[in-house]
Amino acid sequence: MATEDEGLPAQTGRAVLSLATDVGGVAVLAARLLRRMAPPRLDGPELWRNLHRMGVRSLPIVGVTALFTGGIMVIQAGVLIRRFGAEGLLGWGAGFATLREVGPILIALMFSGRVGANNTAELATMTVTEQIDALETLAIDPLAYLILPRVLAMITMLFVLTIYGDVLALMGAAFMGEALLGVSTATFWNGLLESIRVWDMATGLIKSALFGVVIALSSSHFGLSVSGGAPGVGRAVNASVVASATGIFICDYLATYVLQ
Amino acid sequence: MIEVTNVWKRFAAPVLRDVTLRVPGGCLYGLIGPGAAGKSVLLKCLAGLLRPERGTVQIFGETIGALDEVALQAVRNRIGMLFQNNALFDHLTVAENIAFPLRRRGLTDEAEIAARVADRLRAVSLPGFEERLPGGLSGGQKKRVGVARATVTRADVVLYDEPAAGLDPVTSQKIFDLLRREQQEAGATVVMVSSDIDRLLTVTDRVGMMLDGALIFEGTTAEAQGSLHPVVKQFVHGEVDGPL
Repeated sequence: MATEDEGLPAQTGRAVLSLATDVGGVAVLAARLLRRMAPPRLDGPELWRNLHRMGVRSLPIVGVTALFTGGIMVIQAGVLIRRFGAEGLLGWGAGFATLREVGPILIALMFSGRVGANNTAELATMTVTEQIDALETLAIDPLAYLILPRVLAMITMLFVLTIYGDVLALMGAAFMGEALLGVSTATFWNGLLESIRVWDMATGLIKSALFGVVIALSSSHFGLSVSGGAPGVGRAVNASVVASATGIFICDYLATYVLQ
Repeated sequence: MIEVTNVWKRFAAPVLRDVTLRVPGGCLYGLIGPGAAGKSVLLKCLAGLLRPERGTVQIFGETIGALDEVALQAVRNRIGMLFQNNALFDHLTVAENIAFPLRRRGLTDEAEIAARVADRLRAVSLPGFEERLPGGLSGGQKKRVGVARATVTRADVVLYDEPAAGLDPVTSQKIFDLLRREQQEAGATVVMVSSDIDRLLTVTDRVGMMLDGALIFEGTTAEAQGSLHPVVKQFVHGEVDGPL
């Protein structure tokens, strides 16, 4: 904990150490989970339970976000579309931006806020109330029973939700294009299908898988490494959301650079 | 059965300092001491949840810190534990919580599982609570469900951290009597931490007292009650005046 009379070098050193501890913690967690995947040591019922509550229950919030995202993109593009009379480019513009960038990143941020934060809060509560210790004393490996199913469920469901969200965002864009700009849906979909390549869609989905890994590992790490009782749970959730968002943007930058 | 030899453990400061004790097989051992003396940490070292920096913990002749994951799980299959915070699984019902250790140990006969769960709930005076969730229970009820879960497998070694905390005096005595009866029937080795000294000493065979991470007294229950060690005497008899 930083104190008021600490100098800048000490505070910087403390921050760097804290960052290194968390990055190292995430890396160690990833390595320990990988070890449990060969051969697979996974609790099947727990995986199904998490797929349902993380994926199915996220459908409404992701759907609403995606629909409005598509609409917002049309509103933003409307000025240029009208000025240059480029109605035929609306489908391409909306599709390119949605599939490659906006869809995966916004859905990942929503997923992080809903599922990642919830995962951290649950694991942190289980840690401070000794439920994780209880699993160990019952000869159950908490990583195989509790963490691995959550990590796999988060990666899988963010991937699936990104496809679902992309489709809804494009439907929202098509609807708003007709309602606001008078661009027919046929023109919109023709423009989209003629210019968008499979790789554009694949790029967004590769990113969503990477974002899923980031959210799953950081939310689990902060949940398991919590200390300080109930106030510690709040701090862990906060740290998890910040770390996930930061990780998403860093990954997005690197993936965009590599996959372009 | 349980041997702790020169164990040291520290977090920010030392919490266990050169602790050595031996709990014979079939003994109900009471661990007493003021708050933050290191009692719960010692229990977690016995369960293999914490590894000492120095010294060894042996259970069933196995050195806990030297075991690999598989061997440690085999030892833990023979240990039951009640945690200070009960550690009930929030997403499982009372019945599922109590049945959890049975299912994880491979018991699949649902009729037998249900019968053993009902038996445990009767033993802790909570019949009919099978379908309740932990979130809907009082602190005392959670404690009793925790006791039911810790005793359902009839483990060879059982570790209790404050089994009667938050219970009224009558229920508290019932729980201590139940745990004693269970221990005698199963021939289990039990280590029990409790702040309820008066009731604890009615069931223990031997007692150890910890202070500031060190074991300052070890002996039979009668020796603890008659001890002239000023700290032990004050603590066991609840005297206001003294070194504590």
